[in-house]
Amino acid sequence: MSDEVTGGHEDDGGIGRLLRERLPRHPAPPVLRAAVVEALMPGRPRQPWWALWLPHAFSAVATALIMLLYLAPSLPSAPGADPVQLVTRAVLAEHARNTFWGETRSDVVPVALPRAMEESGVALSWVFTGDEDIQLINAKPTYLEGRRGIELAYQDTTGHTVTYIIVPGGSVALPERGRVQIDRWRPVVKRENGFSLILWRQQGMLCVMASDLVSDDDLTRFKEYFVKVRSSTEPYAVY
Amino acid sequence: MADDEFRQQALQHLDALHNLAVYLTRNGSEAEDLVQETYVRAMRFSHRFQPGTHLRAWLFQILRNTFLTFYRLRERESALSEDGVPEGESPMFHDAPARDSESAGAHMDLDRALAKLPEEFKTPLLLAEVEGLALEDVARIMDCPVGTVKSRIFRAKERLRGSLKDYQQPDRGV
Repeated sequence: MSDEVTGGHEDDGGIGRLLRERLPRHPAPPVLRAAVVEALMPGRPRQPWWALWLPHAFSAVATALIMLLYLAPSLPSAPGADPVQLVTRAVLAEHARNTFWGETRSDVVPVALPRAMEESGVALSWVFTGDEDIQLINAKPTYLEGRRGIELAYQDTTGHTVTYIIVPGGSVALPERGRVQIDRWRPVVKRENGFSLILWRQQGMLCVMASDLVSDDDLTRFKEYFVKVRSSTEPYAVY
Repeated sequence: MADDEFRQQALQHLDALHNLAVYLTRNGSEAEDLVQETYVRAMRFSHRFQPGTHLRAWLFQILRNTFLTFYRLRERESALSEDGVPEGESPMFHDAPARDSESAGAHMDLDRALAKLPEEFKTPLLLAEVEGLALEDVARIMDCPVGTVKSRIFRAKERLRGSLKDYQQPDRGV
C-alpha cells in the first residue's frame, strides 16, 4: 500500500492531478481578510461575542430591578404568601390609620363596643377598658385579609396609640421564631417598619397588638400593656 | 519571532486555510468563523510555535483541531472500519449531469465525491495533494503515523476514483 502512495504527488491514476487542477479553490473573501487582520491587531484585546452584549444585559437587568423595587409595594400579594405576614401588614396599616386619623371617643365606647361585637362576629366576654396608664378610646368592626374582626384602640398617658385587633384565627399558625416569654404567655414579638407587634392565639382567635413603642423602654411598657389586655380580655367567635 | 513578523507570515496562508475550511465545514460562514478562530488561537499560542518549523503546517493543525472541537459534532459521518475507511458505501450520483455538460459538472461532481469522504481521509488528501504538504507534515497535523496517512490517502483516492468512474460511465442510464 505504501508503494502506491509515497508522497502527495505520485501518479495515482490522475486523482491527485484531478484534485489539483479541477477542484475549485476557495480563497479568503476580502471581508474575512479584513476581519482577521483586525482581530490580529496588536494591543486590541479580543472580546468574546458575549462580551459585546454584557453591558446591555447588565443595563437591562438593572432597569428591571429598579422597576421591580418601585412597583413591588403596589403589586398584589401573591397567593400562598405567609398568612402571618399578611395579617401583620394589614394590622400595621390599620394602626397607622388609628394613629393619624383615629378618633379619641372614650365616651362612646360603651355604645360602640356592643355594636362592634355585633357587626364583627367577635364577642368579648371580658374586655380591658383601661387603667391609670392606658385607656380604651375606640372600638369598631374591621376587615382584615378576608376576615371580619373587632378592632380596639387604646391610648396611654404619653399619647401613644395601641391597636388591638382580634380576628378568627382559622388555620393561621404562629411561628416559633420570635416568641418571647411575657409573664405566663409566649406570644410572638416583632418589629416591623418602625412599629412593634405582639401576636398570639386565644380561644381560636388571632390577636394582634400594634404600637409605635419600639425603643427598649417603650417595648417594656408595651409588654406591660399586653399583660393587662391579655389577662383581662376574653374573645370568642359568635359564629 | 516577533509578534509582528509572526502575524505577517501567518497571514500569507489565509487563502489556503480558508480553502481547507470550506471543504471541512461545507458552509461559507462557518468556514470564515473557523479561519478567524484559527488565527486568534494561533496568536494566543504564538509563543509555542518553534521558529524554523513549518508555520503553514502548524496553522493547518490548529485549524483542524478547532474544527474537530467545535464543528465536527455537527457532522454525521458513517461508521469507520479499523483503518478509518467507511465500508459498504457505493457511489451515489443519481443526479449526475449529461455527458455534454460533463465539463461544467465536473467540479460539482468532484466536490460531491470529496464531500462523501470522512474528515480523516479528506483532510490528509487535501493537504497532501492540493496544498502540497509533505507526508511528515500531514502526519503531524493529523496526529498519526506517516504510514496511517499514506493508507488513508490511498483509500481516499480509491473511493474517489470509484465514484468518478461510476459517474463517467456513458451507459449509466440516468
